[in-house]
This record gives sequence, C-alpha cells and structure tokens, in this order.
Amino acid sequence: MRKTIASVGYLNAWPLTSKIDRSQFRLIADHPSAVARMLEDGVVDLALVPVASVLGGKDLRVLPGYAIGADGPVHSVLVVAETPMEQWTELVLDGSSRTSAMLAKLLVAGPWKAHLRDDLVVREVEAGTGVHTARGTVASLVIGDAARDLPERLSVRVDLAEAWKAWTGLPFVFAVWAGRPDLDIDVRGSVREAGRQGVDAIDADYVGEEHRYLTQNLRYTFDDRAMMGLRRFAALARKAGLAKTDEIKLYGPPLKLVKRATDLDTLLDKGAKGERLTFDEGVRLQKEATISDLGAAADLRRQDLHPGDDVTYIISRNVNYTNVCVVACKFCAFYRPKKHGEAYVLSRDQMAAKFDELVACGGIEVLLQGGLHPELKIEWYEDLFKWIKAGWPLALHALSPEEIYHIGTVSNLDLRTVIARLIAAGMDSIPGGGAEILDDEIRKKIAPLKSSTDEWLECMRQAHKLGLRSSSTMMMGVGETAEHRVKHLLRLRDLQDETGGFTAFICWTFVPDNTYVKPSGNTAADYLRTNAVSRLFLDNIKNVQASWVTQGPGVAQAALHMGANDYGSVMLEENVVSAAGSTFAMTIDEVERHIRAAGFVPVRRNMRYDHVGGALTVGRVNEIRLA
Amino acid sequence: MNTEMTTFSHVARDALAAADLGDLRDKVLLGQRLSFEDGMRLFECRDIAAVGALANHVRERLHGDLTYFNRNLHVNATNVCEANCIFCSFARLKTGDKDAYTMTIDQAVGRVRALKDELVTEVHIVNGLNPDVPFSYYTDLLRAIKEERPDIHIKGFTAVEIAYYAEKYDMTVRGVLEALVEAGLGSLPGGGAEIFATRARKKLCADKVDADGWLGVHRIAHQMGLRSNCTMLFGHIEKTEERVDHLLRLRGLQDETRGFQTFIPLAFHNENNRLQRLPGPTGHDSLRTLAVARLMLDNIPHIKAYWPMLGVKLAQISLSFGVNDLDGTVREERIYHMAGAKTPQELTRADLVELIRRAGRIPVERDTHYNVICEA
Repeated sequence: MRKTIASVGYLNAWPLTSKIDRSQFRLIADHPSAVARMLEDGVVDLALVPVASVLGGKDLRVLPGYAIGADGPVHSVLVVAETPMEQWTELVLDGSSRTSAMLAKLLVAGPWKAHLRDDLVVREVEAGTGVHTARGTVASLVIGDAARDLPERLSVRVDLAEAWKAWTGLPFVFAVWAGRPDLDIDVRGSVREAGRQGVDAIDADYVGEEHRYLTQNLRYTFDDRAMMGLRRFAALARKAGLAKTDEIKLYGPPLKLVKRATDLDTLLDKGAKGERLTFDEGVRLQKEATISDLGAAADLRRQDLHPGDDVTYIISRNVNYTNVCVVACKFCAFYRPKKHGEAYVLSRDQMAAKFDELVACGGIEVLLQGGLHPELKIEWYEDLFKWIKAGWPLALHALSPEEIYHIGTVSNLDLRTVIARLIAAGMDSIPGGGAEILDDEIRKKIAPLKSSTDEWLECMRQAHKLGLRSSSTMMMGVGETAEHRVKHLLRLRDLQDETGGFTAFICWTFVPDNTYVKPSGNTAADYLRTNAVSRLFLDNIKNVQASWVTQGPGVAQAALHMGANDYGSVMLEENVVSAAGSTFAMTIDEVERHIRAAGFVPVRRNMRYDHVGGALTVGRVNEIRLA
Repeated sequence: MNTEMTTFSHVARDALAAADLGDLRDKVLLGQRLSFEDGMRLFECRDIAAVGALANHVRERLHGDLTYFNRNLHVNATNVCEANCIFCSFARLKTGDKDAYTMTIDQAVGRVRALKDELVTEVHIVNGLNPDVPFSYYTDLLRAIKEERPDIHIKGFTAVEIAYYAEKYDMTVRGVLEALVEAGLGSLPGGGAEIFATRARKKLCADKVDADGWLGVHRIAHQMGLRSNCTMLFGHIEKTEERVDHLLRLRGLQDETRGFQTFIPLAFHNENNRLQRLPGPTGHDSLRTLAVARLMLDNIPHIKAYWPMLGVKLAQISLSFGVNDLDGTVREERIYHMAGAKTPQELTRADLVELIRRAGRIPVERDTHYNVICEA
C-alpha cells in the first residue's frame, strides 16, 4: 500500500518534497495546522510539520537529516509595526503559525522584555490578516508571502529567526518531518534521500528571488547545531507552559545487524591454520573482517606457533649515538642539522656509562642507532663496535638500512662490503626500523630522502645472506590504505621466502606530535587489526611483537591475545618516539607485571628470540591475580 | 533478533572452544541467562580474545555497529566530604583543609555559562558529602543551571549523596529526590556503588551508604520514573566473587525496575590516595571486566567505557569487547585526574567520531536518555 505523506505547501517546503517519488507515496499539501492534525489523527504516515506539533506530547519521532530552519534572518517570519518596539501596546499573533507565535511569545518574555511596555497585550487571533492589524502602536506577526511584500508604512520589521540567533547563538528550526515511532525504515530512508536530492538541486531548480530565499535565508541541514536550537526552543517553550514536552525524539539510525560474509570465514580459517593467504585475501581481511574475528583467528595461529604460556621480552638500551642527520624526514622529531645547537655525537665516556648501566640491570643487547652523519666513515663504526664487544657482554643490534647505505656512500664502499666489514667488527643483527610503509608511493610522501622500498629490501637481503638476522617493522597511520599495508606484508613475506632472515615482525603507529606528517589511521583499532592480520599473513615469520611503547601497556596486552607472542623490550632509553610525544614508559617490573596480568609467564630473550632466562621480578604480592 | 547473527564465525567458535567456553557460547546463542559460576569462569579466563568475541556478539545483537557518545560538562561543586574512603584522591575532609573547595552557586553556574553556545547537552554533577552547606545549596544550584541553560539535562548526585542528604537534612529519600527533580534534576549518575560486598565495602568506604541503601535509592528513583546509571569500582582489594556478586545485584534490581540505562565499570587509580601500594588493574583486566559485564548484565541496555579512566586507546578497542558507549567530550574531569589519570581532559567531537569510525563502528551522538541528537 502506498504510504501517505503530508506537507505544508509553501515554497520553503519544496526542496524537501519535490523529489519524493509520487509512484511510491501519496503526497498531500495543506495548511500547517491541517497537516499537523492529519499527523495527530494518524491519517498520514509522515508529515512535514511546524515544530510546535512535536511538542504537544504525542508520541512522535522526528526524521533526522533535513528540516526547515534559519541561521540568521529568514525574512518570511516578522513582527511588523509602524512604531518602535518601546511604544507597542498590543502584539497580535497569527494563529495559523503556532510555532512562530510561540517564538514571538518567548522573545517577548525574554530578550525583548526590557524594551517593551509592561502593559503590552499579546493577543492571538485565529487566522492572519497581520498586515492590516499592524497600525499605530499595534504590532503584528506576519508570515510567508505577506512578509515579503510589506507596505512602506510598516517600517519596523523584526525578523524572528534573527532575533532568536542574537538571543541564543543557535539556528531556529521551523518545521521537521515527523511520524509515528513504528514508521518503516524504508519510508524514512526514501524521504530523507528525497530531501538530499531536493536540497542538492536548489541551484538547478530555482532562480532569482526564490533561489536567493532558499539558499540565503533558509537552512535545511538538520545537524547538531540545528538540533540544539530545537532543544533550546522546546525547553524554553515547556518552561513557559507553551509546550507539553521538551523531549525531541529522533528516529534512531538503522540498526544494521552485522552481516557476516560467509566467505570471510573461509579466509579467517585459512589464516588461523597457517595456510598462505593471497594479497587480495589479505586486503579483504584488513578491510572487512571485524577486530573480534581477526583477533580470534590470530590468537589460534599464535597458539599453534607458540604453545604454552611464555611471553618473551628483551632488556635493551637504545643508544642514539648521534642526532645529526642529512635527511629531513617529515615524521621525525629527533634529527638536528650538524650546525644546530642541539646536535651531538656521543663520546666514548658517555657511551661507556650507558653500557655499564645496561649490563648492571640484566641487559644483554644494545640497540645502536643514529642519524646519517655526514662525516662518520666506516672506520669510526668498526672502531666503535670492536671497542663495545671488547668491553661489555652485549649483543649489537645496530644500524638501520639507511645508516648502512649512508656509511657506504661516505666511505665509498658497496653495500655488501659495508655489511661484511661491520659484521667482522662485531655487529650481530639489524633492527627492522625504517621500513615505514614499504611502498614508494607512501615513502615518497613521508620520507622522500630515505631509501626506496627496493633499496630497503636489498639491504636486508644482503644482510640475511651474510648470516645476519633482523626484525621487520611497519609504521602505520600516515595515510596509507589497506592495500599499502598488505603490500608491505607481502614484500616482507616474499623476502622471507628467499632468505629466512627475519626473526620477527613488529607494527606500530605513527606518533604525530612535533612532526609535519598528518596522521591518518594511527588509532589503536588500526593497530590491533593490523597486528592480527600480520600474524595471519606472515606465515613464515615466527614472532610477532606487541608495541606497548606506542600503544600503551593495556592495548599491548590485548595484542598478546590477538596474534603477538612477544612484549617487546624494556628500553632503558628511547629518544626517537619520546621526542615525538609518546608518553608510555615502563620498568622491567612493570613489563613483567603486565605480561603476568595478561595470563602469561614473562621470559627474557635475546634478539634472535632465544629464551635466555626467566623473569627478573616476582609479581607484586598485592597484585590482583585474576588470571 | 536477526538470524544472521545467530552464529559465530568459525574462528570465534574455535577460539571459544580453545578457551573452554564452548558451553557459554551456546548459552549466549540461545539468549540464556548466565549464572554466578559462569561469571566466575569468565573473569578467570585469561583469553580475552575469546571472552571479547562472546561479548562482541551480544553487543552487535543489541546495537549492531551503533556506538553512542554525548557532549557533557562535569561539575564537582565541592570536594569537602565527610566520608573517608581510602581509594579517593578527590575529597578533603573539612572545609578549610588544604585544597578543599566549595564553589558558590555563581561559580558553579559560571562553568555552565562559560559554555556559551557550545553544543553540550548534559551537566554531570557529583559532589563530596559536605556537612557545611544547607540542602538549598543543591536545589539553588539546579535552578540556577536550568535558568542559564534550560535545554541542558542535569544528571546529578550519586545514591551516596542522596542517602546522605536524607539523613543529614532529616528527609526521606523520596523527599530528597522529589525536591531535586522539582529544581531541575533529570537523572542519576551511577557512582558510589564501588563494590557492594560488605567485606570489601567496609574496608574501602565504611562511611558510605551500604549496598542495600545504594540500591534502595535507585529503586525509588526508578519508581519515580527517573533513569539512572550504575557502576562498579574494580581492581583494588575486591575478590573475583565480589565482582560477580556486584553485577548480579545490579541485574536483580534491573529485573525489578528496568530503570538502569548504562553500566560503567570504573578502574581503580592509585595516586594520591591511601591505596598506593596497589598498582590498579591493567588494561587486560579492564577489557575483560567490560566484556563480562556485557555478558552478565543481559537486562541493562548499554555498557560504557569511560575514556578519561581507561585512556583513549583502550576505550577505542573496548568497542570490540562489548562496549557500545564512549561517554562524552568530558570537560574538566577532576576525580580521576586527581587520582593520577594521564588522559586528556577533553576530546573534541571530531576526535570521538574518528575514533569510533576507525574502530569500524557507527558514531551516534545521543542525549542522556539515548535519544539521538545527530548521526555523526
């Protein structure tokens, strides 16, 4: 059966009604009071009514999206008079527009009160001949066409929407779509869509005076500000005894029950079993699967790869030997030009103190990274590495591909030779940082001076072939798409097929403070989702590390139950992320407490992910142990 | 209920089986009520991916992807409080104590006035149990706020405050509530519930109204047609069974009155109070508590993650652990920040909308009664 829709017939309603499909709906146009009555009597299913109609205490719902309002002068709702407000003795309100009459009364009792005579009489009349009643000290409410063609004698013209805006700072809503609570969602959708089309077509459908009125005086968007204006009006009207309710009830958004694509189930099952996913399948999981399902699948996969209760972590120290860098990456808050007042290269004494501290608190590895210093040649690194290895029982997890290439350039050596000489000097492994997003489209945007995707991969390839192991990383949240992320994973997986040299994968999110890259997609939800997808997609990389440094300890605990098997490192020093405003910091004690509280047993590891001993601390006695 | 939602994904089913929760999956599918023992098992299960998947199923059955938030202003008009609760970092025992304050009505309303035309729909008022102000302080405060912003909804006064007023000013609970409603009160917040079990409650907050008293105030409020929220303070000295007991008592009252809108678990913070020896719950426990609450409280419509407490990141991912409400853009929250919360004191509406969207959910701005203000 065709549903019946009623509307006022004025020009201002046309944009909301003209695109309604007449074959689908029966449309009735009438006076505001008649339309309101039809809605109250249940004769029509939905009606564009003056807002006074929804404040009468009937159980009606208001359609979101579009309404007839004004955010400033509306020009078609005026109080007019021959004399200034201070002299008015009578105000005649036209009963054909209850909403405008209510607004006038609120203004009289509110902001106008100070200007009006105390003995002003407000008189309501049935239907309007407003222009004729406004004479001498009698003012009158005039609405619609009459308000746009006034005789010259009515020189005082107060625009009610303008007065409302001046009073409250809010838009005024004159009319809304309202209907019974149980109205079909399809009807609501159609009428809303017709409104969108009608409003979008105002420029095409109207010209001249009509166009000016519809675009400059009226406001059809029923947004949060319009809603606030409506709520304020309702509250004031209720308080003044003009409305029975001040509760505006909108039709809720459609409760779309989550529809699970059954073929996603197949992909999740494949991933959970460790079967190889294609690029397209990875993209579908990244885009379409719920975090909940991805987490469950990744947890099953993690349980297969790492049965038992152990969760590893490493005690490490990030020693940034220099902050001088010839590359200015937009996302980096750490680097300084060589002549900058804050530029430094650490002395041997400074480094020695750091290594002593590290060994003293159980550390077995140092992460040595720095900027691309224009003058430090390979001999400087060789001397440094030999000195470290001779002095401390520390593994050297050192240098990003950027630094290795740079050393080659400064020293005029090829990649393979640089790596071989550094290994000979004591380098044990390469951290996987600097991978960012392994896609040149993104890399060019965020780090145009860094190595290309192929160069980064080639450096890792050579290092792996010379017997080094490395981790692999992804920094997400710089505006990359799901495809970019999965492409990144695919490139790592392909290289791993070739070399088997990656020990682990770690993803983290871009931390934006103090840098010039605009973050996008760097939330904790992006992180958990990508962490889980990586566990499923990287079938040939054994370990996945959670990043509490960027996500905080709690989200990282969740990551342990959604694909990760390692809680990262206790970094005795971390300059790069903290320079960008990340505030998370934990002690060994706290790291172990969080691993235990998540239900696991903390175990220390080295950078090859061999277990090297039990926990260093026992859980605090008073800790609530629910797990 | 939608038939497409009557199944779990294979991996969720397998994860639940691996976590030994297969029978609870069946109960949840059939819409059966979970027992005390079920609650214990859920709290004791470490596999939060599995517990979360179970809670997520219920969340999506009730709310689909819809995720609510609102825009509110917190006003704590006085921190002078006779109650000497050991977990509290906010209260000062006496007027004149260091950092003790009691706003004048004009100062408190000034906070509302300062909003100007900001689109805030709710004021949340919670105060200390201040022996030095008359009852009219509160009714005057409500009237003055309504005068300033007639459209603003006032959610105010925990059951603990209401019970205190009844005793101190020699009124009935109903009388107190009627006077406050008459002055403009719209609903009650859920605070002060802490933990109901007598053992823990006596240690934590012996001066506060007991469990029956707290529930009694809400019962009367619900009978009067007021809506309210409910909370549980967790992660301090309470035992697991005391958490489950707490949830079941709330569920019991809700069966009777249907007046609770939202449950909000509150994680204990340990700074600047007498429980500094306790580290507070980790994110893992917070997520699990939210999820278990979603599963146990089958008759309470909404589960809220209070982000000033949880942190923005955990609050966002809790949307996959049973949560369907992220509270509001909270301005000038004092109670948690005095206890060491490091979270920002305000998120913009755009921030909240983006967080919800990135979590794969649909943001909906609501008013206090969960009427839709705007689809974001």
